Amino acid sequence: MSKEEMNSESPQLPWHSRFDLQGITFALFILLGISSLPALEGSGRDLDYWGNLTGFLDQFLPPDFDILPQTLTGIWETIQIAGISTLLATVLSLVLALGAARTLSPSWLVMITRMLLNCIRTIPSLLWAILAVVLVGSNSLAGVIALTFYSSGYLAKFFSEAFESADLQAQKALRSLGASSLQAFQYGLWPNLRPVIWSHCLWMLEYNVRSASIIGYVGAGGIGLHLKLYAESAESWDKFSMVLLCMLVIVTLLDLTGEKVRKSIRDQLEGKKKTD
Amino acid sequence: MAERWLFRNLKFSLNRGDFLAVTGPSGTGKTSLLRALNGELNSEEGSVRNLAQAILPCGAIFQDLQLANGARAIQNALSGSLGRHSTRDTLFGFPASEKSSAIELLDRLGLADKGEQWTSTLSRGERQRLAIARTLLAGPVLLLADEPVASLDLDWAENVLTLLKEKQSQRNGALVCVLHDLEQVERHATHQLTLSEKEPDGWSFRKV
Repeated sequence: MSKEEMNSESPQLPWHSRFDLQGITFALFILLGISSLPALEGSGRDLDYWGNLTGFLDQFLPPDFDILPQTLTGIWETIQIAGISTLLATVLSLVLALGAARTLSPSWLVMITRMLLNCIRTIPSLLWAILAVVLVGSNSLAGVIALTFYSSGYLAKFFSEAFESADLQAQKALRSLGASSLQAFQYGLWPNLRPVIWSHCLWMLEYNVRSASIIGYVGAGGIGLHLKLYAESAESWDKFSMVLLCMLVIVTLLDLTGEKVRKSIRDQLEGKKKTD
Repeated sequence: MAERWLFRNLKFSLNRGDFLAVTGPSGTGKTSLLRALNGELNSEEGSVRNLAQAILPCGAIFQDLQLANGARAIQNALSGSLGRHSTRDTLFGFPASEKSSAIELLDRLGLADKGEQWTSTLSRGERQRLAIARTLLAGPVLLLADEPVASLDLDWAENVLTLLKEKQSQRNGALVCVLHDLEQVERHATHQLTLSEKEPDGWSFRKV
């Protein structure tokens, strides 16, 4: 086919050919945006938005550093909730992941376990927290229960994927060199699994510290309770901002440490750039 | 893929202390022969079936090396000795005597300063030598090696073949290696088995 022929062909493409799945969803997205304009109307009352904002910021800043001690105590409780629930979730997930790994379990068990994990993940952490508060009352145990279930839904999924993609070669080789199946697991398979599992645990710990800060809002212990009290009492936005500031510092520190550790894990598993 | 015979009526005998070099074009079944000897593949007919595995402790080094990449190099070398110890004895590490023989082997293979490195960070040639260290530490009477010197330069290839021969004669065992370099075959092997591309029973066996 010559170039001219191709050029003369292209304008004759049927008009509906550009409405593939991507085109249609994009058009729907634009339509949804336009039809949602009424949501911008607000209450309809004549409010001084700018004055409200500056007035709020005046109270918000500067943060009230006098409450630093009790804020740190609250954050420590949050970290404790996150730590113990990540630990419990890890143990629970290792068991669940065995059931969810296609390479290790029969397909009916895989299906049931995965469906269960999907259900667990569908429920937001805040809802788990409300459930747990109903169950054990308003304290940090409720937070631990909520986050343990919530993070098991994720960790078990990650772990089962790690199990499925694990390199089984070394384990096989050790078996043929005379190792017992437990020895082959410990020295052939576990070294490849451990860094992946540890990396997921760290990520989950970071995530749980963030979740644990908000579930206090519904009474499940930790710094969230402080946030709720300050938000609801008049004239205490400067205390509220102090709590936010502390949380920002802690979460950033955790992020940085986690990233550093995960990078060293990546180096261990994939090897640094090298020349053969 | 059409089924075909890789080799038939293959018959040879090796004594302790022999070094058999397996040669032939690719696709003739050199690796399959090693796997059959290692008891991983069953032969379709005949009595070769797992004979070697049943009688002698066998140890193999395959081309995909089969190392635990997330472990330190020394751990991979040491794991060759697992067959000599119970699960309980190795639960928290290896006996000191195994450690010193592993270090000695790594030293001979030019990996003395690599022991504490993650295996994944080693080069292909280094990992090849590490896999050799692991199998040597297992101390099999019949050692099977699929192109053990393929990713090594000429000096290291010489060193490794010499080491393999030395260790096998020390324990009065035999060595079966797939080799490509015919000069290496002439220099080191005591016997040569050549598999044929065209005929499943067109193999030849000779004393070097």
